[in-house]
Amino acid sequence: MATLLDPVEPAAVEAGSRPEIVGRNPWALAARRLRRNRLAVAALGLFLLIVVVCLAAPLYANYVAHVNPLAPNLNGTTVINGKVVPVMQQGGGTLKLGETPIGPTWDPHHYFLGADNLGRDVASLILYGGRSSLLIGIGSAVICCVVATVIALIAGFFGGVTDSILSRIMDVIWAFPVFLLLFSISTELLTHSNGFQFGPVHVSATSLWLPTVVIAFIYLPYVYRPVRGQVLSVVQKEFVEAAIASGATNARLVFSEVLPNVVSTVIVLLPLMVATTILTEVALSFLSIGVQPPNVSWGTIISDGEDLLYTRPWVSLAPGIMIVLTVLALNVLGDGVRDALDPRAKLRVEG
Amino acid sequence: MLTFIVRRLAWTVLVMFVISALTFLIFFKTPGVDPARALAGRSPSPQTLAEIRASFGLNRPLPIQYLLMMKQLFVTRSLVSYSNQGLLVVPEIAAAAPATLSLVFGAAVLWVVLAIAMGIAAALLRGTWVDPVLMILALIGISAPVVWVGTLANYVSQGSLHNSFLFSWVPPLGYTSFATSPSLWFKGLIIPWITLSILYIGFYARVLRANLLEVQNEDFVRTARAKGLREPRVVVRHTLRNSMITFVSLFGLDFGALVAGGAIITEVVFGIHGVGFLTYEAFQSLDLPTIMAVVVFGAFFIVLANALVDIAYAWLDPRVRPT
Amino acid sequence: MRFVRSMHTTAARRVARHPLRWSGAALGVAALALAGCGSSGSSTPAASSSAAAKAGGTFTILANSSFGVADPAQNYTLQEWQLLIDTHDGLTTFAKENGLAGTKIVPDLATSIPTPTNGGKTYVFHIRHGIKFSNGQVLKPSDFVTTFERQFTVPGPTSFYSDIVGASACSTKGCNLSQGVIANDSAYTLTINLTAPDPELMDQLALPFAFAVPSDTSLKLLGNNVPPGTGPYMWKSYNPNTEAVLVRNPYFKVWSAAAQPAGYPNEIIEKYGLQVSDEVTAVQNGEANEVFDGDQIPSDQLSQLNSAKYAGQVHVNTLTADWYMALNTRTPPFNNVKARQAINYAANRTAYVKIAGGPSLAVPACQILPPNYPSYVPYCPYTTGPQTVWSGPNVAKAKQLVQQSGTAGMKVVVDGTNDQVGKALVEQMVSDLDSIGYKASAQLLAASVQYPFVQNSANSAKWNVGWSAWYQDYPAQSDFLNVLLGCNTIHPNSDASPNIAAYCDKATQAQISQAESMEATDPAGAAKLWTQIDHEDTNAAPWVDLYNPKQIDFLSSDVHGYKWNPQWYILIDQLWLS
Repeated sequence: MATLLDPVEPAAVEAGSRPEIVGRNPWALAARRLRRNRLAVAALGLFLLIVVVCLAAPLYANYVAHVNPLAPNLNGTTVINGKVVPVMQQGGGTLKLGETPIGPTWDPHHYFLGADNLGRDVASLILYGGRSSLLIGIGSAVICCVVATVIALIAGFFGGVTDSILSRIMDVIWAFPVFLLLFSISTELLTHSNGFQFGPVHVSATSLWLPTVVIAFIYLPYVYRPVRGQVLSVVQKEFVEAAIASGATNARLVFSEVLPNVVSTVIVLLPLMVATTILTEVALSFLSIGVQPPNVSWGTIISDGEDLLYTRPWVSLAPGIMIVLTVLALNVLGDGVRDALDPRAKLRVEG
Repeated sequence: MLTFIVRRLAWTVLVMFVISALTFLIFFKTPGVDPARALAGRSPSPQTLAEIRASFGLNRPLPIQYLLMMKQLFVTRSLVSYSNQGLLVVPEIAAAAPATLSLVFGAAVLWVVLAIAMGIAAALLRGTWVDPVLMILALIGISAPVVWVGTLANYVSQGSLHNSFLFSWVPPLGYTSFATSPSLWFKGLIIPWITLSILYIGFYARVLRANLLEVQNEDFVRTARAKGLREPRVVVRHTLRNSMITFVSLFGLDFGALVAGGAIITEVVFGIHGVGFLTYEAFQSLDLPTIMAVVVFGAFFIVLANALVDIAYAWLDPRVRPT
Repeated sequence: MRFVRSMHTTAARRVARHPLRWSGAALGVAALALAGCGSSGSSTPAASSSAAAKAGGTFTILANSSFGVADPAQNYTLQEWQLLIDTHDGLTTFAKENGLAGTKIVPDLATSIPTPTNGGKTYVFHIRHGIKFSNGQVLKPSDFVTTFERQFTVPGPTSFYSDIVGASACSTKGCNLSQGVIANDSAYTLTINLTAPDPELMDQLALPFAFAVPSDTSLKLLGNNVPPGTGPYMWKSYNPNTEAVLVRNPYFKVWSAAAQPAGYPNEIIEKYGLQVSDEVTAVQNGEANEVFDGDQIPSDQLSQLNSAKYAGQVHVNTLTADWYMALNTRTPPFNNVKARQAINYAANRTAYVKIAGGPSLAVPACQILPPNYPSYVPYCPYTTGPQTVWSGPNVAKAKQLVQQSGTAGMKVVVDGTNDQVGKALVEQMVSDLDSIGYKASAQLLAASVQYPFVQNSANSAKWNVGWSAWYQDYPAQSDFLNVLLGCNTIHPNSDASPNIAAYCDKATQAQISQAESMEATDPAGAAKLWTQIDHEDTNAAPWVDLYNPKQIDFLSSDVHGYKWNPQWYILIDQLWLS
């Protein structure tokens, strides 16, 4: 496939036309390389599909599954193979202990993936849950990476006391009892059911921004330290010395020389951080300090499905699969973006 | 070097102080928290509550209470748990630490070795089917919630396949100290080690692979290749050290956090009564003394781990000086 | 007493396809004996055990968490009480029998139950001779003085013995009961003087708070060292992070088989810290003998336990307990009785029962007193059919009442605990409230925070419906009707105010006082009056009572001699191992 740098055919020149050398900026070049990377495009497609499907949750719940997705439905019934079946089924034997929700019916109109412990349609829950998890997972990963990179650039570049202080602050953050903090904040918020007012911003008790911001905060050191390490390394390199010698300002040094060389580390970390933040949200839900009712997230669904892991594994499995797919898509996309941005990477998947 | 050590020690003390003060503040700002209530037994009369407050100094100003608690933690080591006054916190943590250290060290060895192997394999075998397969395995590992993996592991090894030759060696859940029985210690930790490391292998393998691939394009690597060295030698001897910065940074953070009680879910699911397990219990009953002790203990290890990582940078990239 | 949920409530399932290894071990034994099970509501089939009772072995209990501080003067958990009844004795005790026979009070360290004199305010007990503590000391009446004094000097519940003369001046700083508890070590008598007659005294003396400890026991909290006792077992060690170990008391001899029979196992161990699902697996594998009955078995494993393989190992018993949602009568909308009755009509108790694990694990309830309780006469006005048993909600009537009360559309906050069952109950209540025209929302708090939170009037503006649960202290009507709904148990600005709904009706309170004074003179009349009070309270609807829970005992296949006592539940030392 011809690229811009291929020599122009002599015939074309002799034909009398003067080929235009069109200069393109690096971003456009990168975009082109990305477009040609079929795997990355597929990953982007998968990710967008997941997002769209989750956004369409109300449509699914109303028009396809015909359920009120978030309300308990313990006494409800559904139709399987033409027979009316109760959603929650009592145990058998002589003792008849326990109530088990129905398993997957593989019928999108009737509890496709079965019901959860409250008789709710798992398929609808997964879609609604995706909205919360994607928001929290991606939001916190992005905030974390951006903020941490900025701080790391400052620390690594200026060094000395600045670096010491910033790194020690990061140590404090890493050693911080975040579960206690979250517990405290969420108890505080929950017991003020009208939420809090911070100037123009109203934070309600069940806002998703709380877990997003706190999770971003928790992982600042995790992105900060590797990026700072890279910055320290880059700052020693010759081209930086050269730039300093040629009289570049600090800002120019940071943004034109240092940043591009650490950005690939950040790009590798970002989708991995999305996996980490989504899983942190799952862990927080396990400890009941994550997403609160009436919101649901993949973490709350997995948590609720814990008690049913043996008899109804799909309740926990389905959100887990969604997490795997999201993480996979973002990581492959991330690889593609990294390849596209790095002009020296010879080992690119051929488009 | 000496100034580095002295400076870091000083910072350690400062960090421990800041962390403990913040923990103290957050605890007392949480609504519904009243240590006197926990200490006074159930259904105490208001008079009993008042007497408990007085005898535990709970009606004194917060800074005084904080100093009292720090004194009991470090000097007299007589700090008592709020949820069980018969328990001394410091010996409790000392007893729990070996379990956590055993769990974390073992898992760390496993994940470092496997991650390096996977990362190198994926980078070397880029372009073959091995790379994407390894990377997908890695991604599944980091996307699977620990609580799931551990639970499934228990289900299989303790439950359905417990009697098969595959898992009949698995002892009942819980931690046996090395002194009591080295073989039970080992056998009881194998599955928890694997479960804990699955989470990290994938992350580290991907990070390492990405850094290896970048470094491959550097000039010194081209030189090595031009000299006729074979690819594996090039990768292992020439590029590995340069690619380890991110790997080592993350390792310091993760190892420190896990020793500090971060392996909560693994410890709870496998019944290993380590520091994470203590944290979980203390958290449920809002037992401030135990939370404080764990947090301070953890802070020390985290700062220590980061200091070691900073020293390691100097070895990995000699141009960098530890600050 | 209030319900203490085990801490680790999320758990995973395990299947133990344990083969014939165990059923072959004991002469083909599969079923346990259940004498007189009918009246206690047990649903396990009775069958005779073919394994002969024999002493020996180690009985292992697995509990999710420990019971806190072990000092019997402070500990108020059934978990420790189940062990304390094997290591200590009181003046009286509940007979260690199965079923209703186990609610009978029998003399224990006293030779007989005395008749009170002095207008019901003085009791003279004769103490048995020749009983020794586990450290070899001989039991004498003055030991009881220390026991009662400790009840006040050690922080803990004091209300049970606050009517002893001199008790009102007692505090954690010191206690002088020389007028209230008089010991005569030569005549071997113990005299108890009360400030007012107390028909429940014999029950209260049977609680572990009043179990005898040596007179030289410290008056301060003993932490986790349990003082010596007179029972068939003694405490060898207790570490709340690992286990408690009980071994035989070498000085024990049976003096009354009804009160304190000899125990079968040589050793009793209670281990802490496993997830409940892992406990069940361990018992299925035969690695332990009992899943602590206070631990809630998760739904996955409930279905496993239905299998015929475990037929003799699973026992289900109805508890004298209520799981309910208190309605905050201080603030709108539930300061209006019609609004309270409305939600009672609308509450879908079938759904709540399903959350509890289905009809075999919970029975829908409308009234205050639980079944099998003194003065219990079935009464349920909040349903469509006959008014004795709940058969279904009456949503139309509920909506009508909401309109009449003028509270339609109001915001309602439903407060509960954030574990799996608590969360489900709250979400169902939110749904029931929404269905009759309120705007409900959930407020889930950690268990250790939630209970004090709903009791404290300072938080009154923050919740409207609050979950709670109550288990009997002993079988007395006042334990529910006065403690939970009496005017005198509302303590403003206190975290310990068990009348969560803050319900106080002067007329009903007068009836309560009358019933209490009638106990001694006209017990039958008192019982009828209590029934009337129960029904009146139910009509006033300070709560939405959800259900009366049942409890599962899951034992390993080598355990025999199962007895269930309505006061202490499983009688551990009466089990033997094959």
